[in-house]
Amino acid sequence: MNAEGRCWKFGDNIPTDQIVRSDRVLLTIDEMAKYVLENLNPDFAKNVQSGDILVAGKHFGQSSGRAVAPKAIKATGVSVVIVEYAARLFYRNCFEIGLPLLECPGITEGVGSGDMLQVDVETGKILNLSNGKSFTAKPIDPFLMEMLKAGGLIAIAPKIAEGRSS
Amino acid sequence: MNLVEKILAKKSGRDFVRPGDVVVADVDALLLHDLSGYITARVFEREVKKDVRFPDRVVMVFDHHFSPPNEERARILEENRAFARKYGIHLLDCGSGNIHNAAVRNGFVRPGSIVVGSDSHTPVHGTMGCFACGLGNNSHAATVLPYGKAWFKVPETIKVNLTGKNKFGVFPRDVALWLTGQIGEGGAVYKALHFTGQFIKDLDIWNRWLFPLITIDVGGKCGFIDPDEKTLALARIISKKEFEPVYSDPDCEYETIWDYEISDLEPQVAASPTLGNVKPVSEFAGRSIQWAELGGHGGGRIEDFREAARILKGRKLAPGVKFNAVPSSREVFSQALQEGIVETMFDAGCTWFPPCTGSNQAINMGAMAETESMISTHARNFPGRNGSPKAIMYLGSASTVAASAIKGHVSDPREFLE
Ligand code: SF4
Repeated sequence: MNAEGRCWKFGDNIPTDQIVRSDRVLLTIDEMAKYVLENLNPDFAKNVQSGDILVAGKHFGQSSGRAVAPKAIKATGVSVVIVEYAARLFYRNCFEIGLPLLECPGITEGVGSGDMLQVDVETGKILNLSNGKSFTAKPIDPFLMEMLKAGGLIAIAPKIAEGRSS
Repeated sequence: MNLVEKILAKKSGRDFVRPGDVVVADVDALLLHDLSGYITARVFEREVKKDVRFPDRVVMVFDHHFSPPNEERARILEENRAFARKYGIHLLDCGSGNIHNAAVRNGFVRPGSIVVGSDSHTPVHGTMGCFACGLGNNSHAATVLPYGKAWFKVPETIKVNLTGKNKFGVFPRDVALWLTGQIGEGGAVYKALHFTGQFIKDLDIWNRWLFPLITIDVGGKCGFIDPDEKTLALARIISKKEFEPVYSDPDCEYETIWDYEISDLEPQVAASPTLGNVKPVSEFAGRSIQWAELGGHGGGRIEDFREAARILKGRKLAPGVKFNAVPSSREVFSQALQEGIVETMFDAGCTWFPPCTGSNQAINMGAMAETESMISTHARNFPGRNGSPKAIMYLGSASTVAASAIKGHVSDPREFLE
């Protein structure tokens, strides 16, 4: 699972309410994608390209545990989300809907918006092609990696329900 | 093992679990509200396409709406009702109260069980000695509804030990707000928080409630309080089913222990943009407010109305202040009626609303223009949750809310409590 794309960088403590505003949660996911993070950077949803990489600070995705927040990010074409650390429901939701999420303390200091990043999701290796800096994200639990590879929770739910767990 | 580890072990058919283990466990209760329920139902019907395995364990509460404000909302509620009928799940319709209070009052939350929900404040049920945790819509749609199960990673546990006695005019909510600031937003990410200590033990259930409630705001996975006689007494009254309480081993291990002594605390207020922005009331005193509200996941309890009525009795709201009184359940309203609180607050100028979740996200009520501010007992104060992103939400105890409503600005309640 490799990705290469432009970086869009956001700050700390961003709640899901800011990723998708509450008055938009009943739109279709594709419609919602047009408004992702609208109050923080109106250019993001307009100009983001398929494969781009979203970087954010601490406690990303706090507040309501709505899975539509990562779904809408995924629908913008973002390939990977890299954060200092994520809120736990957001973390869980990303894997369940098949959006790779890496936690990498220090990432926000080493990358800027517009930098080109190269990411290997499985090994957690991140390379900033624009300034040559490299980082290693925290490893992803094998159980979650399996979920991600299957495309999300729904695909592996029957297997999980049989009681398989590590 | 502690309570959470024991419950996870038991419900996943293991003798023991360790932090970091991933388990698949049986879920005893799934709580959905009118919005999360709708989103979950859409995923379930479109992508999962199975039957609901244990409909009796699922309850949907219409708490964001007490009466749909437009056709689109009415349609959503109708679709939810049809979903509930089709699969035979429980439905508590408009006017039943806020999801968490209604779920407890209606017997869905029993000590020793696993409670999950889409609402991020689901960990509040750790108050009843449950392992309670918010999950995403996909967990509910893909594993809880069709199989009655969910996957969990066993969290590390932090012991939060609270001692001391709150001063006159300082309430358990002040302590909970202050504690949020002490631990910090993101101060306990993925952790289980075991709230304990003499201060917690002395509280009654609905005041204890305010502590597991803050779990999510410090980033935690779940919060819990070991059951005692008070927990079991309430559980026996409300629960229609048998339950088996689980207790932490006295020698269970913690990742860390945090001790807090609360005797010196002043009344606290948390102002937008986040809960971490919490300070003694004097720091915000004098800031004007146009709205006051007792409601939300943490508010609208009978304790809140009693506190407020004590201050509002024989007084009037400041000119220009509107006061929303929103009971968290039908039982609370009935109790307030019996105690004369409904009349006292009405005479002071307050408006009673039907039992619901109140101004939470301004779906039925509580939107503000950019020049307005509200003081409330809500659980959150993020910008944009109540209309304009510029509107300010102050959070405080019911007494602070009532005192501020009389003055027309954020005020220390103690002058009214002599
Ligand atoms: S708005 Fe309040 S009730 Fe609704 S999902 Fe968020 S926290 Fe829960």
